[in-house]
Amino acid sequence: MARQRYHDGLALRQALPGRFLPFLVGSMAFLAALALAGGIAAHGLSQRWTHGAGAVTTVQVPSPTDPATATAAMGQTPATRIDAVLATIAATPGITGTHRLSDAELRALLAPWIEQTGDASLPLPAVIELHTAPGQDVAASLLPRLQAQAPGVLMEHDSVWSDRLAALAGSLQACAGLAVLVVMTVAVCVVMAATRAGLLTRRQAIGLIHALGATDSYISGRFATRVGLLALWGGAWGSVLALPMLLALSHLAAPFTAMGDIPATTPDWRDVHAWAALLPPALLWMLVIVPPAAGLTGWATTQLTVRAWLRRLP
Amino acid sequence: MFRLHDVSYAYGGSQTGVAALSHVSLDVAQGEFRWLLGPSGAGKSSLLSILSLEVQASSGMVEILGVPVRQARRAGLARLRRRIGAVKQDFGLLPDMSVFDNVALPLRLQHRVEAEIAHEVHAIMKWVGLEHRLEALPPQLSGGEQQRVAIARAVIYRPALLVADEPTNALDERQAGRLMRMFHRLAELGTTIVVATHNDAIVAKYPAPTIELLHGHLVRDHG
Ligand SMILES: Nc1ncnc2c1ncn2[C@@H]1O[C@H](COP(=O)(O)OP(=O)(O)OP(=O)(O)O)[C@@H](O)[C@H]1O
Ligand SMILES: [Mg+2]
Repeated sequence: MARQRYHDGLALRQALPGRFLPFLVGSMAFLAALALAGGIAAHGLSQRWTHGAGAVTTVQVPSPTDPATATAAMGQTPATRIDAVLATIAATPGITGTHRLSDAELRALLAPWIEQTGDASLPLPAVIELHTAPGQDVAASLLPRLQAQAPGVLMEHDSVWSDRLAALAGSLQACAGLAVLVVMTVAVCVVMAATRAGLLTRRQAIGLIHALGATDSYISGRFATRVGLLALWGGAWGSVLALPMLLALSHLAAPFTAMGDIPATTPDWRDVHAWAALLPPALLWMLVIVPPAAGLTGWATTQLTVRAWLRRLP
Repeated sequence: MFRLHDVSYAYGGSQTGVAALSHVSLDVAQGEFRWLLGPSGAGKSSLLSILSLEVQASSGMVEILGVPVRQARRAGLARLRRRIGAVKQDFGLLPDMSVFDNVALPLRLQHRVEAEIAHEVHAIMKWVGLEHRLEALPPQLSGGEQQRVAIARAVIYRPALLVADEPTNALDERQAGRLMRMFHRLAELGTTIVVATHNDAIVAKYPAPTIELLHGHLVRDHG
């Protein structure tokens, strides 16, 4: 009905057509979702590389049950080398976790060699895994002290690699952030251009309702509501279309991320929960947040654009 | 009511632009009716544009319905515009909106209830004799009909100040007479009215205090 459509003379359906803007904003949201997913994935990897297996220092103590050659702190004399080493490690700051491999773990680890020699009674060293806080180099100071208590102690530390990987992950995150920023800037420009075009097509009507006493906030509000809803709609489509892509990527990335316990098999397509479990929660949240963020960005951009444009009217 | 003090206006800026009004001072009280006379190009439409807040004076003081225009904020000016009715020389109707919607526009901007709006639009359109053309688009109307639509829109919200630019030039004598009687009734009810015209016959027939412009200067203020 024509009366409804032209209600207040702005004819926004005509000024801001309902396909163009959602399509463009949707594409932007899609790109932003992919970039954000990349950032989140890089964050997950860097977490794993700095806190997980990547930052483990391995300490080997030969003849662990022999008496210690020097006393540990606090004046007590632990009976064995392994006890002395464990006590020293426990008293060292900067170590976030310690795990002594059990005999079973050790034999599993060494199985190929033990089977080759066929000697099950081969004396095994004790192996301790140390988790260190990122950026801490405890090995240099710790090793001489451990060697004083248990001659022949070996330490293997791979922080060089974990640090490099962490730096790489950090750069990837920065790139993703930059991509999101660029996409948002382009989206803002697109919304501004569309709004200006809409203002131009209804220039006469805007001049008239301004002369009849419509406030700037009324006119900008009408435009911003329309653009905000179109952007929300476009953002929703962008998110929905990004979802299968992200699921596929998450499925591929599962073995490398912190979620190592995900089965390598592809879930049944009907099993929504299995698919949802594939996505890290941060990614799910991002997909939920993208549409309202797009809507809000569109709304705010239009408010500013229209208000600036209306300044030309007295 | 309105007051102008030493008002000048130039199209395209006061330095380089075309001077349309020079040092005009006027004081018109509430409920007064004034003719605005002067030859073509004298500045009548420019003066009415200043009074309807369509343009801002380049210099001087303008006070409309007690509001000093230069000091007012944008929202205040918008509020003030809702108390001013203007009939433009070119009618100022939106060509892609029905006659009904054109006339209803001021009421819709005041967020009035649709039923009330329909009632008022029908009443005023009946009065101007166009109640059968509500669904037409303005370009489908004759010049005189468009003029009556513009008049209907300007008076539908009973403005405190009404400015009309040649409102009778497309009307026949009978319609012009009806319009003049309505203007006088509105003035009696307290609306301040300024009507620009070339039509000497109608001025002679309906004598009233006169403002006369010549080359942008005020040459007669017979109040
Ligand atoms: N938009 C414009 N840009 C530049 N100059 C203008 C503009 N409108 C009017 N003028 C000039 O301003 C002066 C006053 O014009 P205005 O329209 O106020 O005259 P008027 O008295 O209404 O004339 P008319 O009786 O023909 O309607 C004229 O010299 C005119 O050429
Ligand atoms: Mg004129």
